[in-house]
Amino acid sequence: MRGKIAAKKIAFYAGIIVVWQIVFSLNIWSVHIFPSPVQVAQDLAYGVADGSLIFAIATSMWRLVVGLIISIAGGITLGIFMARIESVNQTIGSLVLGLQSVPSVAWVPLALLWFGLTDAGIIFVTVASSLFAVTINTYSGMKNVPTSYIAAARNMGASGVQLITHVMLPAAFPYLISGFKQGWAFAWRGVIGAEIIFSFLGLGFLLNVGRELNDISQVIATMLVIMVIGILIDGLVFKKIERKVMSRWGLA
Amino acid sequence: MTKLEAKNIVKHFDHNGNSVLALDGIDLKVEEGDFVCIVGPSGCGKSTFLNIVAGLEKPDTGEILLNGKSITTAGPDRTMVFQEGALFPWLKVIDNVEFGLKIAGIPKDERSQISQRYLDMMQLTKFANSYTYQLSTGMKQRVAIARALVMDPEILLMDEPFAALDAQTRDLLLVELQLIWERTKKTILFVTHSISESVILGNRVVVFKNRPAKIKKEITIDYRRPRLAEDENLVKYQQMILAELKTEVRAQMKREFEE
Repeated sequence: MRGKIAAKKIAFYAGIIVVWQIVFSLNIWSVHIFPSPVQVAQDLAYGVADGSLIFAIATSMWRLVVGLIISIAGGITLGIFMARIESVNQTIGSLVLGLQSVPSVAWVPLALLWFGLTDAGIIFVTVASSLFAVTINTYSGMKNVPTSYIAAARNMGASGVQLITHVMLPAAFPYLISGFKQGWAFAWRGVIGAEIIFSFLGLGFLLNVGRELNDISQVIATMLVIMVIGILIDGLVFKKIERKVMSRWGLA
Repeated sequence: MTKLEAKNIVKHFDHNGNSVLALDGIDLKVEEGDFVCIVGPSGCGKSTFLNIVAGLEKPDTGEILLNGKSITTAGPDRTMVFQEGALFPWLKVIDNVEFGLKIAGIPKDERSQISQRYLDMMQLTKFANSYTYQLSTGMKQRVAIARALVMDPEILLMDEPFAALDAQTRDLLLVELQLIWERTKKTILFVTHSISESVILGNRVVVFKNRPAKIKKEITIDYRRPRLAEDENLVKYQQMILAELKTEVRAQMKREFEE
Protein backbone atom coordinates (compact mmCIF):
# COMPACT_ATOMS: atom_id res chain seq x y z
CA MET A 1 0.00 0.00 0.00
CA ARG A 2 2.70 2.44 1.06
CA GLY A 3 4.94 1.32 -1.79
CA LYS A 4 2.08 1.85 -4.22
CA ILE A 5 1.54 5.41 -3.05
CA ALA A 6 5.27 6.13 -3.30
CA ALA A 7 5.37 4.67 -6.81
CA LYS A 8 2.43 6.86 -7.80
CA LYS A 9 4.22 9.94 -6.47
CA ILE A 10 7.49 9.13 -8.23
CA ALA A 11 5.66 8.56 -11.51
CA PHE A 12 3.84 11.87 -11.09
CA TYR A 13 6.98 13.93 -10.50
CA ALA A 14 8.88 12.10 -13.23
CA GLY A 15 5.96 12.94 -15.54
CA ILE A 16 6.21 16.63 -14.66
CA ILE A 17 9.92 16.64 -15.49
CA VAL A 18 9.33 14.85 -18.78
CA VAL A 19 6.55 17.28 -19.81
CA TRP A 20 8.78 20.17 -18.70
CA GLN A 21 11.61 18.90 -20.89
CA ILE A 22 9.27 18.41 -23.87
CA VAL A 23 7.84 21.92 -23.55
CA PHE A 24 11.39 23.27 -23.30
CA SER A 25 12.42 21.36 -26.48
CA LEU A 26 9.55 22.99 -28.39
CA ASN A 27 11.43 26.28 -28.06
CA ILE A 28 8.30 28.36 -27.46
CA TRP A 29 9.93 30.73 -24.99
CA SER A 30 13.45 32.10 -24.70
CA VAL A 31 15.80 30.22 -22.42
CA HIS A 32 15.86 33.29 -20.14
CA ILE A 33 12.20 32.82 -19.37
CA PHE A 34 11.86 29.06 -19.44
CA PRO A 35 14.91 26.99 -18.43
CA SER A 36 15.25 23.25 -18.91
CA PRO A 37 15.18 20.81 -15.98
CA VAL A 38 18.84 20.10 -16.67
CA GLN A 39 19.77 23.78 -16.30
CA VAL A 40 17.94 23.98 -12.98
CA ALA A 41 19.64 20.80 -11.80
CA GLN A 42 23.02 22.18 -12.85
CA ASP A 43 22.29 25.35 -10.93
CA LEU A 44 21.44 23.32 -7.83
CA ALA A 45 24.64 21.29 -8.19
CA TYR A 46 26.66 24.45 -8.66
CA GLY A 47 25.10 26.07 -5.57
CA VAL A 48 25.95 23.00 -3.51
CA ALA A 49 29.48 22.78 -4.91
CA ASP A 50 30.45 26.40 -4.20
CA GLY A 51 28.57 26.32 -0.89
CA SER A 52 26.37 29.33 -1.64
CA LEU A 53 23.16 27.29 -1.54
CA ILE A 54 24.16 25.45 1.62
CA PHE A 55 25.05 28.73 3.30
CA ALA A 56 21.73 30.27 2.24
CA ILE A 57 19.78 27.28 3.59
CA ALA A 58 21.69 27.43 6.86
CA THR A 59 21.08 31.17 7.19
CA SER A 60 17.34 30.91 6.52
CA MET A 61 16.94 27.90 8.79
CA TRP A 62 18.83 29.61 11.59
CA ARG A 63 16.54 32.66 11.39
CA LEU A 64 13.50 30.39 11.20
CA VAL A 65 14.50 28.35 14.25
CA VAL A 66 15.32 31.39 16.41
CA GLY A 67 12.10 33.10 15.36
CA LEU A 68 10.01 30.00 15.91
CA ILE A 69 11.46 29.37 19.37
CA ILE A 70 10.60 32.92 20.39
CA SER A 71 7.10 32.53 18.91
CA ILE A 72 6.46 29.23 20.66
CA ALA A 73 7.67 30.47 24.04
CA GLY A 74 5.84 33.78 23.70
CA GLY A 75 2.71 32.31 22.14
CA ILE A 76 2.28 29.67 24.85
CA THR A 77 2.75 32.24 27.59
CA LEU A 78 0.33 34.68 25.99
CA GLY A 79 -2.19 31.92 25.28
CA ILE A 80 -2.10 30.75 28.91
CA PHE A 81 -2.74 34.26 30.23
CA MET A 82 -5.57 34.78 27.76
CA ALA A 83 -7.18 31.49 28.78
CA ARG A 84 -6.79 32.05 32.53
CA ILE A 85 -7.54 35.77 32.91
CA GLU A 86 -10.70 36.94 31.22
CA SER A 87 -9.76 40.62 31.03
CA VAL A 88 -6.48 39.70 29.29
CA ASN A 89 -8.53 37.78 26.75
CA GLN A 90 -10.95 40.68 26.25
CA THR A 91 -8.14 43.20 25.68
CA ILE A 92 -4.95 41.57 24.40
CA GLY A 93 -6.98 38.70 22.94
CA SER A 94 -8.84 41.01 20.58
CA LEU A 95 -5.55 42.62 19.53
CA VAL A 96 -4.03 39.18 18.85
CA LEU A 97 -6.93 38.34 16.53
CA GLY A 98 -6.36 41.60 14.67
CA LEU A 99 -2.60 41.13 14.38
CA GLN A 100 -3.07 37.55 13.17
CA SER A 101 -4.76 38.96 10.05
CA VAL A 102 -1.74 41.12 9.12
CA PRO A 103 0.17 39.39 6.27
CA SER A 104 3.76 38.63 7.23
CA VAL A 105 5.39 40.85 4.56
CA ALA A 106 3.38 43.79 5.87
CA TRP A 107 5.70 43.70 8.91
CA VAL A 108 8.80 44.20 6.75
CA PRO A 109 8.78 48.03 6.44
CA LEU A 110 8.39 48.34 10.20
CA ALA A 111 11.19 45.83 10.78
CA LEU A 112 13.48 47.72 8.39
CA LEU A 113 12.84 51.01 10.15
CA TRP A 114 13.33 49.54 13.62
CA PHE A 115 16.19 47.11 13.04
CA GLY A 116 17.77 48.10 9.71
CA LEU A 117 19.33 45.43 7.50
CA THR A 118 20.04 42.96 10.31
CA ASP A 119 19.24 39.40 11.28
CA ALA A 120 17.18 40.85 14.11
CA GLY A 121 14.91 42.56 11.57
CA ILE A 122 14.23 39.32 9.71
CA ILE A 123 13.73 37.39 12.94
CA PHE A 124 11.29 40.09 14.03
CA VAL A 125 9.23 39.49 10.89
CA THR A 126 9.39 35.71 11.51
CA VAL A 127 8.12 36.12 15.06
CA ALA A 128 5.39 38.55 14.01
CA SER A 129 4.26 36.05 11.35
CA SER A 130 4.00 33.04 13.65
CA LEU A 131 3.50 34.27 17.22
CA PHE A 132 -0.25 34.78 16.99
CA ALA A 133 -1.02 31.40 15.44
CA VAL A 134 0.73 29.74 18.40
CA THR A 135 -1.09 32.06 20.83
CA ILE A 136 -4.56 31.39 19.42
CA ASN A 137 -4.07 27.62 19.33
CA THR A 138 -2.72 27.55 22.89
CA TYR A 139 -5.73 29.57 24.00
CA SER A 140 -8.23 27.20 22.33
CA GLY A 141 -6.40 24.19 23.72
CA MET A 142 -6.51 25.54 27.27
CA LYS A 143 -10.20 26.41 26.89
CA ASN A 144 -11.06 22.94 25.61
CA VAL A 145 -9.46 20.91 28.39
CA PRO A 146 -12.14 18.39 29.49
CA THR A 147 -13.57 19.53 32.82
CA SER A 148 -13.26 15.97 34.13
CA TYR A 149 -9.43 16.20 33.90
CA ILE A 150 -9.44 19.36 35.98
CA ALA A 151 -11.88 17.91 38.49
CA ALA A 152 -9.74 14.76 38.82
CA ALA A 153 -6.54 16.77 39.25
CA ARG A 154 -8.07 19.06 41.88
CA ASN A 155 -9.45 15.98 43.59
CA MET A 156 -5.90 14.60 43.86
CA GLY A 157 -4.63 17.83 45.35
CA ALA A 158 -3.43 19.85 42.34
CA SER A 159 -4.06 23.58 42.36
CA GLY A 160 -2.86 26.85 40.84
CA VAL A 161 0.27 26.57 38.70
CA GLN A 162 0.35 22.76 39.07
CA LEU A 163 -3.03 22.58 37.34
CA ILE A 164 -1.60 24.50 34.39
CA THR A 165 1.73 22.67 34.11
CA HIS A 166 0.60 19.14 35.00
CA VAL A 167 -2.87 19.02 33.50
CA MET A 168 -4.00 21.87 31.27
CA LEU A 169 -0.88 22.17 29.10
CA PRO A 170 -0.47 18.43 28.51
CA ALA A 171 -4.21 18.09 27.90
CA ALA A 172 -3.97 20.94 25.38
CA PHE A 173 -0.99 19.36 23.63
CA PRO A 174 -2.87 18.31 20.46
CA TYR A 175 -3.87 21.96 20.04
CA LEU A 176 -0.34 23.14 20.80
CA ILE A 177 1.01 20.85 18.08
CA SER A 178 -1.33 22.29 15.47
CA GLY A 179 -0.30 25.73 16.72
CA PHE A 180 3.38 24.86 16.20
CA LYS A 181 2.59 23.48 12.77
CA GLN A 182 0.71 26.57 11.70
CA GLY A 183 3.33 28.75 13.36
CA TRP A 184 6.13 27.03 11.45
CA ALA A 185 4.29 27.42 8.13
CA PHE A 186 3.73 31.13 8.74
CA ALA A 187 7.29 31.58 10.00
CA TRP A 188 8.73 29.95 6.87
CA ARG A 189 6.71 32.27 4.63
CA GLY A 190 7.75 35.19 6.84
CA VAL A 191 11.49 34.40 6.67
CA ILE A 192 11.54 34.02 2.88
CA GLY A 193 9.35 37.06 2.31
CA ALA A 194 11.50 39.22 4.58
CA GLU A 195 14.72 37.95 3.00
CA ILE A 196 13.48 38.87 -0.48
CA ILE A 197 12.76 42.44 0.56
CA PHE A 198 15.69 42.84 2.95
CA SER A 199 17.90 41.19 0.30
CA PHE A 200 20.28 40.27 3.10
CA LEU A 201 21.52 36.65 2.84
CA GLY A 202 19.39 33.51 2.95
CA LEU A 203 17.20 31.73 0.39
CA GLY A 204 15.03 34.81 -0.16
CA PHE A 205 18.20 36.72 -1.02
CA LEU A 206 19.16 34.06 -3.59
CA LEU A 207 15.72 34.48 -5.18
CA ASN A 208 16.21 38.21 -5.35
CA VAL A 209 19.72 37.90 -6.79
CA GLY A 210 18.40 35.47 -9.41
CA ARG A 211 15.82 38.04 -10.44
CA GLU A 212 18.39 40.85 -10.62
CA LEU A 213 20.76 38.75 -12.73
CA ASN A 214 17.92 37.51 -14.94
CA ASP A 215 19.00 34.01 -13.87
CA ILE A 216 15.75 32.08 -14.18
CA SER A 217 17.30 28.70 -13.32
CA GLN A 218 18.56 30.06 -10.01
CA VAL A 219 15.09 31.41 -9.21
CA ILE A 220 13.42 28.10 -9.94
CA ALA A 221 16.16 26.09 -8.21
CA THR A 222 15.77 28.20 -5.06
CA MET A 223 11.99 27.86 -5.15
CA LEU A 224 12.39 24.11 -5.37
CA VAL A 225 14.67 24.13 -2.33
CA ILE A 226 12.14 26.22 -0.37
CA MET A 227 9.38 23.80 -1.29
CA VAL A 228 11.40 20.68 -0.47
CA ILE A 229 12.39 22.05 2.94
CA GLY A 230 8.71 22.73 3.59
CA ILE A 231 7.71 19.20 2.64
CA LEU A 232 10.52 17.66 4.69
CA ILE A 233 9.80 19.58 7.89
CA ASP A 234 6.09 18.97 7.58
CA GLY A 235 6.53 15.28 6.86
CA LEU A 236 9.47 14.41 9.07
CA VAL A 237 8.75 16.59 12.09
CA PHE A 238 5.10 17.51 12.36
CA LYS A 239 3.32 14.54 10.74
CA LYS A 240 5.20 12.16 13.05
CA ILE A 241 4.51 14.10 16.22
CA GLU A 242 0.90 14.60 15.21
CA ARG A 243 0.29 10.94 14.51
CA LYS A 244 1.77 9.93 17.86
CA VAL A 245 -0.12 12.56 19.82
CA MET A 246 -3.45 11.90 18.11
CA SER A 247 -3.40 8.18 18.85
CA ARG A 248 -2.20 8.59 22.43
CA TRP A 249 -4.73 11.28 23.24
CA GLY A 250 -7.40 9.03 21.72
CA LEU A 251 -8.21 11.44 18.89
CA ALA A 252 -7.24 9.24 15.94
CA MET B 1 -16.49 6.99 64.95
CA THR B 2 -18.13 9.21 62.36
CA LYS B 3 -15.84 9.66 59.38
CA LEU B 4 -17.97 11.93 57.28
CA GLU B 5 -20.97 14.04 58.09
CA ALA B 6 -23.11 16.07 55.73
CA LYS B 7 -25.23 18.66 57.49
CA ASN B 8 -28.29 20.10 55.80
CA ILE B 9 -26.73 20.40 52.33
CA VAL B 10 -28.81 22.66 50.07
CA LYS B 11 -27.91 23.35 46.45
CA HIS B 12 -29.70 25.29 43.72
CA PHE B 13 -29.02 25.06 40.03
CA ASP B 14 -29.45 27.60 37.33
CA HIS B 15 -31.68 26.07 34.67
CA ASN B 16 -32.54 28.35 31.73
CA GLY B 17 -32.37 31.35 34.02
CA ASN B 18 -34.54 29.75 36.70
CA SER B 19 -33.17 28.69 40.02
CA VAL B 20 -33.98 25.02 40.56
CA LEU B 21 -33.62 23.33 43.94
CA ALA B 22 -31.39 20.29 43.40
CA LEU B 23 -30.52 19.19 46.92
CA ASP B 24 -33.04 19.89 49.64
CA GLY B 25 -31.26 19.53 52.94
CA ILE B 26 -29.24 16.33 52.82
CA ASP B 27 -28.16 14.97 56.20
CA LEU B 28 -25.93 11.94 56.13
CA LYS B 29 -23.45 10.31 58.47
CA VAL B 30 -20.89 7.79 57.30
CA GLU B 31 -19.13 5.77 59.99
CA GLU B 32 -15.47 4.85 59.71
CA GLY B 33 -14.93 1.73 57.63
CA ASP B 34 -18.51 1.70 56.38
CA PHE B 35 -19.55 1.05 52.81
CA VAL B 36 -22.46 3.34 51.95
CA CYS B 37 -24.27 3.38 48.64
CA ILE B 38 -26.45 6.22 47.46
CA VAL B 39 -29.00 5.08 44.91
CA GLY B 40 -31.48 7.22 43.02
CA PRO B 41 -32.88 7.90 39.57
CA SER B 42 -30.64 9.50 36.96
CA GLY B 43 -30.31 13.23 37.33
CA CYS B 44 -31.59 13.25 40.91
CA GLY B 45 -28.59 15.17 42.23
CA LYS B 46 -26.65 12.30 43.80
CA SER B 47 -23.53 13.10 41.76
CA THR B 48 -23.84 16.75 42.74
CA PHE B 49 -23.94 15.66 46.36
CA LEU B 50 -20.79 13.59 45.87
CA ASN B 51 -19.05 16.54 44.18
CA ILE B 52 -19.90 18.67 47.19
CA VAL B 53 -18.43 16.05 49.52
CA ALA B 54 -15.31 16.04 47.31
CA GLY B 55 -15.15 19.83 47.53
CA LEU B 56 -15.43 20.19 43.76
CA GLU B 57 -18.71 22.10 44.14
CA LYS B 58 -19.87 24.39 46.90
CA PRO B 59 -23.24 23.98 48.64
CA ASP B 60 -25.52 27.00 49.02
CA THR B 61 -25.92 26.20 52.70
CA GLY B 62 -24.85 23.41 54.99
CA GLU B 63 -21.46 21.90 55.64
CA ILE B 64 -19.39 18.79 55.22
CA LEU B 65 -17.41 17.52 58.18
CA LEU B 66 -14.53 15.09 57.78
CA ASN B 67 -13.38 13.63 61.10
CA GLY B 68 -15.43 16.41 62.70
CA LYS B 69 -13.65 19.18 60.83
CA SER B 70 -15.39 21.36 58.27
CA ILE B 71 -14.00 21.12 54.77
CA THR B 72 -14.51 23.53 51.90
CA THR B 73 -11.91 22.69 49.25
CA ALA B 74 -11.05 19.65 47.15
CA GLY B 75 -8.30 17.43 48.47
CA PRO B 76 -6.65 14.04 48.29
CA ASP B 77 -8.16 13.00 51.64
CA ARG B 78 -11.37 12.41 49.62
CA THR B 79 -10.25 10.93 46.32
CA MET B 80 -12.89 10.12 43.76
CA VAL B 81 -13.31 7.50 41.08
CA PHE B 82 -15.15 9.22 38.24
CA GLN B 83 -17.73 7.62 35.99
CA GLU B 84 -15.69 8.19 32.85
CA GLY B 85 -12.39 7.45 34.60
CA ALA B 86 -10.90 10.85 33.76
CA LEU B 87 -7.47 9.29 33.35
CA PHE B 88 -4.79 11.42 31.75
CA PRO B 89 -4.01 10.13 28.25
CA TRP B 90 -0.53 11.72 28.16
CA LEU B 91 0.64 9.61 31.10
CA LYS B 92 1.45 5.93 31.32
CA VAL B 93 -0.69 3.83 33.66
CA ILE B 94 1.98 3.98 36.37
CA ASP B 95 2.28 7.76 36.09
CA ASN B 96 -1.49 8.12 36.23
CA VAL B 97 -1.49 6.09 39.43
CA GLU B 98 1.37 8.16 40.89
CA PHE B 99 -0.11 11.51 39.84
CA GLY B 100 -1.42 12.58 43.25
CA LEU B 101 1.78 11.43 44.97
CA LYS B 102 3.85 13.49 42.55
CA ILE B 103 1.67 16.54 43.14
CA ALA B 104 2.19 16.01 46.87
CA GLY B 105 5.96 16.13 46.28
CA ILE B 106 6.71 12.57 47.33
CA PRO B 107 10.14 11.40 46.06
CA LYS B 108 10.31 8.95 43.17
CA ASP B 109 11.51 5.87 45.10
CA GLU B 110 8.73 6.15 47.61
CA ARG B 111 6.21 6.82 44.85
CA SER B 112 7.05 3.67 42.95
CA GLN B 113 6.95 1.62 46.15
CA ILE B 114 3.42 2.81 46.90
CA SER B 115 2.14 2.60 43.34
CA GLN B 116 3.53 -0.92 42.96
CA ARG B 117 1.36 -2.09 45.82
CA TYR B 118 -1.84 -0.75 44.27
CA LEU B 119 -0.95 -1.79 40.72
CA ASP B 120 -0.56 -5.25 42.20
CA MET B 121 -3.84 -5.05 44.06
CA MET B 122 -5.70 -3.99 40.90
CA GLN B 123 -3.81 -6.57 38.78
CA LEU B 124 -2.33 -3.86 36.60
CA THR B 125 1.37 -4.67 36.92
CA LYS B 126 1.55 -5.94 33.34
CA PHE B 127 0.03 -2.69 32.07
CA ALA B 128 2.15 -0.28 34.12
CA ASN B 129 3.84 1.11 31.02
CA SER B 130 0.79 1.18 28.76
CA TYR B 131 -1.01 4.32 27.76
CA THR B 132 -4.71 4.63 28.49
CA TYR B 133 -5.78 4.38 24.83
CA GLN B 134 -4.41 0.83 24.87
CA LEU B 135 -6.73 -0.23 27.74
CA SER B 136 -10.29 -1.54 27.80
CA THR B 137 -12.93 0.40 29.73
CA GLY B 138 -12.71 -2.11 32.58
CA MET B 139 -8.92 -1.74 32.77
CA LYS B 140 -9.27 2.03 32.79
CA GLN B 141 -11.57 1.86 35.81
CA ARG B 142 -9.05 -0.36 37.60
CA VAL B 143 -6.45 2.34 37.00
CA ALA B 144 -8.87 4.98 38.25
CA ILE B 145 -9.43 2.97 41.46
CA ALA B 146 -5.69 2.46 41.96
CA ARG B 147 -5.08 6.16 41.36
CA ALA B 148 -7.61 7.05 44.06
CA LEU B 149 -6.44 4.43 46.60
CA VAL B 150 -2.79 5.41 46.26
CA MET B 151 -3.53 8.64 48.11
CA ASP B 152 -4.67 6.59 51.12
CA PRO B 153 -7.79 8.78 51.42
CA GLU B 154 -9.88 9.15 54.56
CA ILE B 155 -12.88 8.26 52.44
CA LEU B 156 -13.09 6.89 48.90
CA LEU B 157 -15.77 8.49 46.73
CA MET B 158 -17.09 6.61 43.74
CA ASP B 159 -19.37 8.21 41.16
CA GLU B 160 -21.06 5.48 39.11
CA PRO B 161 -17.67 3.97 38.28
CA PHE B 162 -19.11 0.83 36.70
CA ALA B 163 -21.92 2.42 34.67
CA ALA B 164 -20.08 2.19 31.35
CA LEU B 165 -18.83 -1.39 31.75
CA ASP B 166 -20.15 -4.55 30.13
CA ALA B 167 -22.00 -6.93 32.47
CA GLN B 168 -19.20 -9.49 32.95
CA THR B 169 -16.53 -6.93 33.69
CA ARG B 170 -18.85 -5.16 36.08
CA ASP B 171 -19.73 -8.32 38.02
CA LEU B 172 -16.04 -9.09 38.37
CA LEU B 173 -15.21 -5.60 39.63
CA LEU B 174 -18.16 -5.67 42.04
CA VAL B 175 -16.59 -8.67 43.76
CA GLU B 176 -13.09 -7.23 43.61
CA LEU B 177 -14.20 -3.96 45.11
CA GLN B 178 -15.65 -5.81 48.10
CA LEU B 179 -12.37 -7.65 48.59
CA ILE B 180 -10.42 -4.41 48.34
CA TRP B 181 -12.73 -2.78 50.85
CA GLU B 182 -12.19 -5.66 53.30
CA ARG B 183 -8.45 -5.56 52.74
CA THR B 184 -7.92 -1.80 52.98
CA LYS B 185 -10.71 -1.11 55.51
CA LYS B 186 -11.47 2.10 53.63
CA THR B 187 -14.62 4.10 54.20
CA ILE B 188 -16.45 4.16 50.87
CA LEU B 189 -19.27 6.37 49.63
CA PHE B 190 -20.57 4.94 46.36
CA VAL B 191 -23.13 6.60 44.09
CA THR B 192 -25.09 4.54 41.56
CA HIS B 193 -28.41 4.40 39.76
CA SER B 194 -28.26 0.60 39.73
CA ILE B 195 -30.24 -0.99 42.53
CA SER B 196 -28.49 -4.35 42.16
CA GLU B 197 -25.09 -2.68 42.43
CA SER B 198 -26.14 -0.87 45.58
CA VAL B 199 -27.31 -4.01 47.39
CA ILE B 200 -24.25 -6.01 46.36
CA LEU B 201 -21.86 -3.35 47.63
CA GLY B 202 -23.49 -1.42 50.42
CA ASN B 203 -23.65 -2.06 54.14
CA ARG B 204 -26.11 0.77 54.04
CA VAL B 205 -28.11 1.87 51.02
CA VAL B 206 -29.41 5.42 51.05
CA VAL B 207 -32.30 6.03 48.66
CA PHE B 208 -32.50 9.52 47.17
CA LYS B 209 -35.83 11.04 46.29
CA ASN B 210 -35.96 12.96 43.07
CA ARG B 211 -36.10 16.70 42.36
CA PRO B 212 -35.32 18.09 44.78
CA ALA B 213 -33.15 15.31 46.13
CA LYS B 214 -33.84 14.29 49.68
CA ILE B 215 -33.06 11.11 51.54
CA LYS B 216 -36.16 8.99 51.27
CA LYS B 217 -35.11 5.83 53.02
CA GLU B 218 -32.15 3.98 54.40
CA ILE B 219 -31.72 0.23 54.28
CA THR B 220 -29.14 -1.72 56.21
CA ILE B 221 -27.92 -4.84 54.44
CA ASP B 222 -26.41 -7.30 56.87
CA TYR B 223 -25.36 -10.11 54.62
CA ARG B 224 -22.19 -12.14 54.11
CA ARG B 225 -19.49 -11.07 51.65
CA PRO B 226 -18.34 -11.22 49.01
CA ARG B 227 -21.83 -10.91 47.61
CA LEU B 228 -22.32 -12.08 44.07
CA ALA B 229 -24.52 -10.47 41.45
CA GLU B 230 -26.56 -13.64 41.00
CA ASP B 231 -27.23 -14.20 44.72
CA GLU B 232 -31.01 -14.66 45.10
CA ASN B 233 -30.98 -13.68 48.73
CA LEU B 234 -30.27 -10.12 47.66
CA VAL B 235 -33.49 -9.92 45.67
CA LYS B 236 -35.62 -9.00 48.69
CA TYR B 237 -33.39 -5.98 49.36
CA GLN B 238 -33.61 -5.00 45.73
CA GLN B 239 -37.38 -5.17 45.90
CA MET B 240 -37.47 -2.98 48.98
CA ILE B 241 -35.48 -0.33 47.18
CA LEU B 242 -37.37 -0.73 43.95
CA ALA B 243 -40.64 -0.13 45.80
CA GLU B 244 -39.22 3.16 47.03
CA LEU B 245 -37.85 4.18 43.67
CA LYS B 246 -40.83 3.15 41.56
CA THR B 247 -42.92 6.07 42.68
CA GLU B 248 -39.91 8.28 42.07
CA VAL B 249 -39.33 7.06 38.55
CA ARG B 250 -43.02 7.40 37.76
CA ALA B 251 -43.09 10.94 39.09
CA GLN B 252 -40.02 11.73 37.04
CA MET B 253 -41.51 10.33 33.84
CA LYS B 254 -44.73 12.21 34.43
CA ARG B 255 -42.78 15.43 34.87
CA GLU B 256 -40.76 14.83 31.75
CA PHE B 257 -43.88 14.19 29.68
CA GLU B 258 -45.47 17.34 30.98
CA GLU B 259 -42.43 19.52 30.34
